[in-house]
Amino acid sequence: MFISIDNVCFSYSNTKTAALNKFSMTIEKGEVISILGPSGSGKSTVLRLLAGLEKPEDGSFNIQDNVIFDEKKFLQPEKRGIGMVFQDYALFPHMSVAENIMFGLFRFKKAAKQARLKEVLELVELEEFADRYPYQLSGGQQQRVAIARAIAPKPHLILLDEPFSNLDAELQGKIRKELRDILKKANITSVFVTHDENDAHAIADRIVKLKEGKIEVIGRPCDILNINRQAVVEAVALVEQQDMLSV
Amino acid sequence: MQRSLKNINVWTFSAVIIMALLFLPNLTIVGGIFTPTNENWAHMKEHVLWSFVSTSLILVVATAVLTISIGLSLAWLVAQYQFPLRNFLKWALILPLSIPPFIGAYTYHGIVNYTGVIQTMLRERFGMEVNPSYFDIMNLPGAIFIYTIFLYPYVYTITRIFLSQQSASLIETSRVLGKGPWGTFFRVVIPISRVSIIGGASLVVLEVLNDYGVVKYYGIQTFTTAIFQTWFGLGDIESAIKLAASLMGFVILVLMVEKLLRGRRQYSYSTTKVRPLPLIELTGWKAAGATGFGLIIMALGFFIPVIQLIDWTILTFGTIPMEEFMLYVKNSVTVAGIAATVIILFALIVGNFGRLVHGKMAKLLPRLSILGYSIPGAVIAVAVVTAFIGLDRTLAPVYQALGFDTTLVLSVSLIMLISAYIIRFFAIGYNSIESGYDKIGTNFRDASRLLGMGITKTFFKVDMPMLKGAIISGFIIVFIDILKEIPLTLILRPFNFDTLSTKVFQYASDEKIMEASQASLLIIGISALSIIVFYKFIEKEPK
Repeated sequence: MFISIDNVCFSYSNTKTAALNKFSMTIEKGEVISILGPSGSGKSTVLRLLAGLEKPEDGSFNIQDNVIFDEKKFLQPEKRGIGMVFQDYALFPHMSVAENIMFGLFRFKKAAKQARLKEVLELVELEEFADRYPYQLSGGQQQRVAIARAIAPKPHLILLDEPFSNLDAELQGKIRKELRDILKKANITSVFVTHDENDAHAIADRIVKLKEGKIEVIGRPCDILNINRQAVVEAVALVEQQDMLSV
Repeated sequence: MQRSLKNINVWTFSAVIIMALLFLPNLTIVGGIFTPTNENWAHMKEHVLWSFVSTSLILVVATAVLTISIGLSLAWLVAQYQFPLRNFLKWALILPLSIPPFIGAYTYHGIVNYTGVIQTMLRERFGMEVNPSYFDIMNLPGAIFIYTIFLYPYVYTITRIFLSQQSASLIETSRVLGKGPWGTFFRVVIPISRVSIIGGASLVVLEVLNDYGVVKYYGIQTFTTAIFQTWFGLGDIESAIKLAASLMGFVILVLMVEKLLRGRRQYSYSTTKVRPLPLIELTGWKAAGATGFGLIIMALGFFIPVIQLIDWTILTFGTIPMEEFMLYVKNSVTVAGIAATVIILFALIVGNFGRLVHGKMAKLLPRLSILGYSIPGAVIAVAVVTAFIGLDRTLAPVYQALGFDTTLVLSVSLIMLISAYIIRFFAIGYNSIESGYDKIGTNFRDASRLLGMGITKTFFKVDMPMLKGAIISGFIIVFIDILKEIPLTLILRPFNFDTLSTKVFQYASDEKIMEASQASLLIIGISALSIIVFYKFIEKEPK
């Protein structure tokens, strides 16, 4: 077991109800997990807690037997070795693509830095864009820079917040496949949040369905989403049957 | 609970210290209410306090009504109509703000008095000997005129920006529903722009309550002048503190009225698609009227006083040795520069605190520390002096150990003046920085931290470069405000330390009006330039 999350509880200071209630799961190395749920289900809260941007009320979180947080300890975000791709990408506007990517590589030696930059640029196929600034890139390119920046320091885990919400429908299908390829090629453990079942189905190894801060179900896409698919098939069959009867 | 303790780091620690330093001196004033009263205070309370209250009240109410009438009507004309010189007037109408009211006050006195250009011309050209009292401006109505003509841009600017950016569909709906221009103005324009009108007017009111230069020069007794008189004339700091506390009560009343008038109805736009108001072309006498009205206000608030000042400068040029003049410039720039730099640094730290710490306290504390701007200079002066004398008393043993032969060190130094500036003008710098922080949000900071940078490194590598605009504009506004400042500088400056504005005030008080003009023009020039740059910068009107 690579990552374990146990009984994590959290509520925002301005509300009484828990945003997240006893969230527990384990993740294997290299796995792609999708957290699926409607808005307000607590899915973004999971990411913010894992990243260290919010402090949990209770519970623990370990990566490879290293405690990230528990009752006594709380590791600051910069010490966690977790990468994140923000919904709006949050590319630093005053830095070029290369500077953005190298931002997190301050512990690398100069040569290693350049080598890693080249490596991730190749991975996201943006080699020619190193000297551009974020505003000179399309939405899809910006997203790939954000991914490259997040994986460059070789984090244990990478978090993606609604990675497809800012892209137009045409691009989405293409990018889904690209993203899965990138994540798999880099063999990087990742958790991404989405409200779109199709996204989850296309990319995830496993899906966590959240509802009102609680886990509704965890499982492989084919198992979980098939439940719904089965229902659709049955409904269609029923309609067809009725049509036949009416004829 | 234990977890929230971990939030305490260098940033939150310094932010809390700064906020306490900014806020605590004001508590001396509150404390002063409870000290036993003395004879002076009893006398004042019985005989003169009410007249301070009523005079200040008349000044405030009359100025508010007049600035709203002028500011709002000009804002509406410029926002909604096309008429000759509109594009020029649109920004030129802001310029009166660059003339500090006390400079306007003595300039107008110089224009209309017995030896001034108007009476001289009437006598020499037309042989008319008029009753000089017709031209007496040094009274209550005169002061109201001065405040109105130099402060209306607060209402004008805020309301105009609101109207031209926020109101298109509401105003067009009113038109389509059959309301004419007047009906639309009274039924739609005034109600929707209420928040900006009140916002602008309350800035005007706070400026009037803070003012010392105009009322002192015109010999009008208000709270501010009374505080200084009690303090220096009677040497009675306790009564001065009590007066200051009463004035603070007055200001709090103003702020409460403002809040009440704004009410819960905060009109904000219901859609994010904001489009500019299309202009309606005025023709004939209507166009002439609009242009004429704008030009008259413009002339009274800017051109007439500036031309007079230029004339005086030419007449007296060379009477003040250049070396001396440059010393005042250097002094002004030094104190304003140091204070503005410290304010921006403090604002960056306090603003970052607001983003690092969640919860109600984190929102409330910065609010408290920006109270300084609503507290008049005279009150802050009393508070700061009291605090610094106390500090010197406490430090007296240290001074002795260091071999000083005096017990007053800090309270006679520039540090005291600069501290007072910082308390008074912190809010202005903070507002600029805070809106900068709001604009960049927290994602960039979070992204940087997740890439392994700590809070401090993130601040220098990510926040600072992205806040550049807010830092520069905040610095400029604070710098200009300090350059123009009068009461604090007059009272708290070290012996023999003069700035441009104290020199202007001194010359004017000594009836050397012409000699004051050179320094006045420099102040106005720098202010005007930065006002133009600033408004061009914050408002890029879509064409």
